[in-house]
Amino acid sequence: MQYMLLIYDEEVNWAGMSEADRNAMMAEYFQFTEDLRKSGKHVAGDALQPLSTAKSVRVRDGSAQTTDGPFAETKEALGGYYLVDVDSEEEALEWAAKIPSARIGTIEVRPVVVFPVEATA
Amino acid sequence: MKVLALIWADESGWERLSDGERKEWYGKYRAFAEAAGGKLAPTRAATTVRVRDGKTTVTDGPFAETREQLGGYFVLDVESLDEATKLAAKIPGARHGAVELREAAEEEAA
Repeated sequence: MQYMLLIYDEEVNWAGMSEADRNAMMAEYFQFTEDLRKSGKHVAGDALQPLSTAKSVRVRDGSAQTTDGPFAETKEALGGYYLVDVDSEEEALEWAAKIPSARIGTIEVRPVVVFPVEATA
Repeated sequence: MKVLALIWADESGWERLSDGERKEWYGKYRAFAEAAGGKLAPTRAATTVRVRDGKTTVTDGPFAETREQLGGYFVLDVESLDEATKLAAKIPGARHGAVELREAAEEEAA
């Protein structure tokens, strides 16, 4: 089963780090990603550009409105994600706890819905 | 460039739909089937994990309680943010919720 591991952290935490600390954190991320890939549980993952580049799109009465910024203003922002294919929720939570940002931010773990056959055929 | 399209909508609306109506919506989303993406289970199935001082804390529920919830996503491979915006407007959820566009970082950090 697939789970989304959504990484929320404060952008100021990253911005406020020394270059050495940031490099150390990045090294941990590379190691985590490598471990996840080696385990065969990695499906996809990305780091996202800062919130200042986010746009939100809504269509109302047939016309599209685009606004700058994310959908929700929260102190911690979605900074990246991993999509994992694991055997249980417990395993998803174990991987989540190993994500370096779990120590400074929050990881939200969401099961991915398996579409009914008739919907994807 | 790679852009993540995050679909935010009121999940209670989805739960009120009949099976037939849901099938209709799945059909609308099928047009996007070529893009990688997925529907997320309702936020009541979400679990939140934090590690502080080496101790893992697991709580039920999503990271943030919002009026509309993150319900799914697509990974778009596009030439520009402008193209991503045009595609986002075609995502069915844009008509009752909002689609947030987030550009992926170049480096393979995650």
